[in-house]
Amino acid sequence: VIEEIEVAPPQANEVRIKIVSTALCHSDLYCLLKVVEKEFFPVVLGHEAAGIVESVGPGVTEFQPGDKVIPLYLPQCGECRFCKSPKTNQCDVIWTRMGSKEMALEKSRLTCNGLKLRQFMGISTFSEYTVAHQMAVAKIDPDAPLDKVCLLGCGVCTGYGAAVNTAKVEPGSTCAVFGLGAVGLAAVMGCEAAGAKRIIVVDINPDKFEKAREFGATDFVNPKDHNKPISQVLMEMTGGGVDYSLECVGDVECMRSALESCVKGWGVSVIVGLTDMQDVTTRPLQLTSGRTWTGCLFGGFKSKDAVPKMVKDYLEKKLKLDEFISHTMTMDEINDAIDLMKQGKWYIQPQLT
Amino acid sequence: MSHLIFSVAWEPNKPVVIEEIEVAPPQANEVRIKIVATSVCHTDLYHLFESMHKDGFPTVLGHEGAGIVESVGPGVTEFQPGDKVIPLFLSQCKECHLCKNPRTNQCEVAWINQAIMAGVESRFTCKGKRVLQFMGTSTFSEYTVINQMAVAKIDPAAPLDKVCLLGCGICTGYGAAVNTAKVEPGSTCAVFGLGAVGLAAVMGCKAAGAKRIIAVDVNPDKFEKAKVFGATDFVNPKDHDKPIHEVLTKMTNGGVDYSLECVGNVQVMRSALESSAQGWGVSVIVGWTDLHDIVIRPAHLISGRTWKGSMFGGFKSKDGVSKMVKDYLDKKLKVDEFISQNMTLDQANDAIELMKNCKCIRAVMSVSPP
Repeated sequence: VIEEIEVAPPQANEVRIKIVSTALCHSDLYCLLKVVEKEFFPVVLGHEAAGIVESVGPGVTEFQPGDKVIPLYLPQCGECRFCKSPKTNQCDVIWTRMGSKEMALEKSRLTCNGLKLRQFMGISTFSEYTVAHQMAVAKIDPDAPLDKVCLLGCGVCTGYGAAVNTAKVEPGSTCAVFGLGAVGLAAVMGCEAAGAKRIIVVDINPDKFEKAREFGATDFVNPKDHNKPISQVLMEMTGGGVDYSLECVGDVECMRSALESCVKGWGVSVIVGLTDMQDVTTRPLQLTSGRTWTGCLFGGFKSKDAVPKMVKDYLEKKLKLDEFISHTMTMDEINDAIDLMKQGKWYIQPQLT
Repeated sequence: MSHLIFSVAWEPNKPVVIEEIEVAPPQANEVRIKIVATSVCHTDLYHLFESMHKDGFPTVLGHEGAGIVESVGPGVTEFQPGDKVIPLFLSQCKECHLCKNPRTNQCEVAWINQAIMAGVESRFTCKGKRVLQFMGTSTFSEYTVINQMAVAKIDPAAPLDKVCLLGCGICTGYGAAVNTAKVEPGSTCAVFGLGAVGLAAVMGCKAAGAKRIIAVDVNPDKFEKAKVFGATDFVNPKDHDKPIHEVLTKMTNGGVDYSLECVGNVQVMRSALESSAQGWGVSVIVGWTDLHDIVIRPAHLISGRTWKGSMFGGFKSKDGVSKMVKDYLDKKLKVDEFISQNMTLDQANDAIELMKNCKCIRAVMSVSPP
C-alpha cells in the first residue's frame, strides 16, 4: 500500500538516503507471500536499490550529503570475527540486529500514523527515504547511473559471487545453473567470467533461454522435456556430472537435483536461492563419494568492499547490468511489479524510480 | 586349491560359518594373497546386520587385512611371491580420469555396486556355489585373490598383525581429518563417535595441529582412549537435555571449525553439520550408511557451512597405504593403541559379537602364521 510515512532523521552512525531507484527481488516476494508470522508486518520491503545521501547522523565521517550509495542488507561492520575472517562475508550484525524481530522494530526509523514499521533487512528501499547504519551502506563511484547499479544491491552480486567466490569456478570447467531469474543469469555471467567452458542452464520456462545465452550459457535444458530426473539428464549430457552446480531457485527439490547433478569425486554444489521453510535432503553417499555441498549469502562478497568494486567493473564494461532490466516502472506501480514477478512472466527486476 | 578357515556369511543376519572353499588361482593382473591378520570393521557388520541385501550373499566378509603374496597371475610385474601387502577395498588403477585427478581418491574400477558391496566376479566357490568377495577383498579367509590395482605393497619390515588396521579404519578416520576436512593448525574440531574411525580422526586432527578436539560419544568408557589419541574435551549427549549441536555451539562460542561424523547415523550427520560454525564451518561425513536420507535446513549451508564426505579418508589407496605404513614404522602414527583384542579367525563370530556390543575397538584376528 502506498502511504505517507515519517522517516526519522539519522541517529549516531546512521545515514539518511534518498532512494533514486530500486528493484524487486524474489526475496521481497518470499517475505510478502510466504512468511506467515504476523509480527513480521507491517514492513516496508525492498533491499535492492541505489540512492543519494540526504543527511548524516553524528559520528559519520565516511559519508556526506550528495554521495551516491547502495544500501547493503548484509552489512560489513569490520569488527566482528566474521568480518575479520577472510573465509566468510557473513557479518554478525545481519543475524543479531536484523534477525531479531524485537531489535529490528526498535531500531526502525520508519513510522506510519504513529505505528512503527519494520525496516526490511535493515534497509527498506521501497520508499523515498530510508535510514541505515553506515556499516550497511556502500559509497560508490559518482559517475554510476543509479537506475542501473541498484541491481548490485542484491541479485547480480548474489549470483555472480556464488560462481566466482563460493563455487570458485575454474577455467575450462562445466557448470550447471538452475533457475534463470536475475540471480541465475548473474551466476551464468559469473561462470563465464571465471572461464567455464560449458554452462548448462536449467529452467522450466524455455522463454528464458535466449537471455541466458546473452550472458554466456552454452546448453539449455528444460526438465519438462524429459521423463528422467534432471540430475540423470545432466549426468548423461556431461559423461558423469558437472564440476559446479548453482541452485538459483530457492526450492529444496532443485537443491537436491543440483547436488546430484555434480560429478562424484570433486563436484561442488552451491545453494544460492533462499528458502528456509523446508528441509533439503540427499543420500549420504552423494557426499561420501566426493561431492561438496555449500551455500552463500550475497555471493560471498564482503559487502562494503565489494559493491563499489562491482560498480567500477560495470563502469569499465567488465560486467553486464543493463541487460537484466526488463521493465521500468514507478513506485506507485509496485503491486503490478509484484504481480509480474509472481507470474514469472519475465525474469528480471523491474525498476521502480 | 581348497582350504579351511574361510568364514562364509551365507545369509544376512546370521553368524558366519567356517567352511572349506575353493579359491581359484589368480588370473591376468591378479594376485593371490595369504592373509596373515585381519580385523572386524563396522562396515562388515553393516552389510551383515543392517543393509542385509539378499543379493550380497553368500559372501566372505572382511576388508581390513594384511598378508603375503602367494602367487601372481599373468601380466603381474609389480608383485612377487613373498611381498607383504594390504588389500584395498578402494582401488587405484592410476588410469581412469578419477585416478588422474588430484582432487579425489575415487577410482572408476572400484566395486561400484554398493547394494551388494561386492564386485561382479569372484574367485571363490563353496559347495558348488559362487561366493562373493565382499568389497573386493574378503579378508576373513586364509587366501584371497584380488586385481593388482587393489593391492598395496608395503614395507617388508611392517608387522602384519598391526598394519592390517591400515586397510580401512585408521586411514579412513585420519584421512578424513587431514585430507578431506583439511583441519588447520589452531582450529577447534569435534569428532562424533569413538570407534576406530573416530579415534583415528582424533589422531588426524591432532596431527594437523588442532588446538581443541572435542570427542562426542554416548558411551563414556570410550573417553579415556580418545584422550590417548589427543582429545581435549569429552561430551556425552546423554548428559544434556539440549540437542548436542546446541551444547557444542555454546561450548565453542559459535560452533566448531571442523566436525567429523564417524558413526554412520543420519541424525548424527545432521548434528555434526549443525555443530559447525556459521561462515566457515566444515562438516565431513565419514561413517558409512546409505539406507536413509540426510536432512538439513538450507539456511545452514546458505549461512556458510560446507558439507562434505569421503571414503578411505580421501587417500589415493595404493599410494596412501604404503606411506601410512612407513609413517607407522617411523613412529609418526599410532596403530598398536587401536588393538583391543587378539583372536583367531575361527573366533570370527565372537569378534563380530564384541563389535556389535561396542566392546571392542579393533579385535585383530590372526589367520595364518606370518
